[in-house]
Amino acid sequence: MPFDAEKFIAGAIEEIRASVGHEKAIIAVSGGVDSSVAAALCARALGKNIRCVFVETGLMRKDEAKKVKTSLLGAGVGLRIADAQEDFFRALKGLSDPEKKRKAIGGAFIRVFEREAKSFGAKFLVQGTIAPDWIESGSGLRATIKSHHNVGGLPEKMGMSLVEPLRELYKDEVRKVGAALGLPESLYKRQPFPGPGLAVRIMGEVTRGKAETVREACAITEEEIERAAAEGKMALPWQYFAVLLPIRTVGVLGDARAYGHTIAVRAVESQDGMTAKACPVPLEVLERISDRVTRELKEHVNRVVYDVTSKPPGTIEWE
Amino acid sequence: MNVAIVDFGSQWTHRIHRTLSYLDAGSKILPVTTPASEIKKYGALILSGGAIRIGLGDGKQTGNAREYLETFEGPTMGICAGQQFIGMHFGGKAQPAAGPEYGKVELIIDDKDELFAGLPERFTVWASHNDEVVGTPGFRILAHSKDCSNHAFKSLSRQIYGCLFHPEVEHSEHGSEIYENFLKIAKK
Repeated sequence: MPFDAEKFIAGAIEEIRASVGHEKAIIAVSGGVDSSVAAALCARALGKNIRCVFVETGLMRKDEAKKVKTSLLGAGVGLRIADAQEDFFRALKGLSDPEKKRKAIGGAFIRVFEREAKSFGAKFLVQGTIAPDWIESGSGLRATIKSHHNVGGLPEKMGMSLVEPLRELYKDEVRKVGAALGLPESLYKRQPFPGPGLAVRIMGEVTRGKAETVREACAITEEEIERAAAEGKMALPWQYFAVLLPIRTVGVLGDARAYGHTIAVRAVESQDGMTAKACPVPLEVLERISDRVTRELKEHVNRVVYDVTSKPPGTIEWE
Repeated sequence: MNVAIVDFGSQWTHRIHRTLSYLDAGSKILPVTTPASEIKKYGALILSGGAIRIGLGDGKQTGNAREYLETFEGPTMGICAGQQFIGMHFGGKAQPAAGPEYGKVELIIDDKDELFAGLPERFTVWASHNDEVVGTPGFRILAHSKDCSNHAFKSLSRQIYGCLFHPEVEHSEHGSEIYENFLKIAKK
């Protein structure tokens, strides 16, 4: 029988209550589907004993803190915003290896969680970990494809117990849980966003400036693809975004020589994130993205390319 | 029906579990260190894929899996590295593939047998392999692709199957039906 969301919710609420008891728990929400659904489950299971924290890492989507606050309030979940941008950019300074970046981000999250847990008196940390997170993080015979920041070692270091109600689910199943919980469609249907945020969409070292550039490029890509989908020119992809490449190429802007960076656009079809196929985005849509990116970000970007790789051999995000 | 899924470390081992549960079959993911006597309690056995290079001598990392193939009498299926392991165990040669395949592959069915019953002659599946297994005595090839001569095989004497591609992933067409067929074989 296909996935039964109602049955899952009843079981998950019971499990969360059994794990946490009368203690307090915190949950970090990113605005993505998984953590929002986990937060909504916890709100039902624990009432006032759960505190939801949005960590402003400086690596989130455009206007994310505002959007998350509104959409979660709509779902009956209160939210605290913890500004930790300094911590994240400091932790990432000088790092260009993708695994080192991911681990540095995991470490920065730990420090924020510690502060938040202490101020709330929480003994439990709830995370929206789903199956692909622990699968790709590897262990034993399973190779590490990428270390997901929410997997491995966190609670031991923090002296907190970990609760992961969505651990056995894939994204499509999490969305069904979100729908059954009565979350707004704009929230549970939202495209996935990686835990380490825009850091994995910046190849090489992460700086505030590059984060700003890729954030704008992602926003333009999202707007144009969503517009094209709304106009019936294409189906809305499973995930769609921009990646900032450290490669510089020569261009010509207003008769002057340019030597700027490159943006790669990625849009994939998938159901569970475990396999994916590049979307046949119409050329006119890609051209429109290219025009806008190179005009609106002309100080930084003068070339746009499209990624046509499947997963495997690629992964959806580039790092 | 309760199926033992022995985990060779694939990215998609848990997808096998999901596919089987959607087909109302119970299953448990078990490590390769599980005693063979434990495996015997299950109705069917699946050896998952994994990053281990059977063709490059990584077979020793497969724990008790050889013993499973010796002692488990129920229907058995290997996926990707699991298929290569089965082929090698029964005397075939696992080796780096002449044509490694990642992502989309057109599968061409040579012999529908019960495993591909009711499916078209050709369809799209997804693969992710560096190696392949050839020349397994006592096995019949059921499917191939343009670049790979052995995408599925079957033992002539026992209910042992193997697929090099991954029927458990979303992008493989008819994947769930292949597992359904395997469960039908197992229920007989």
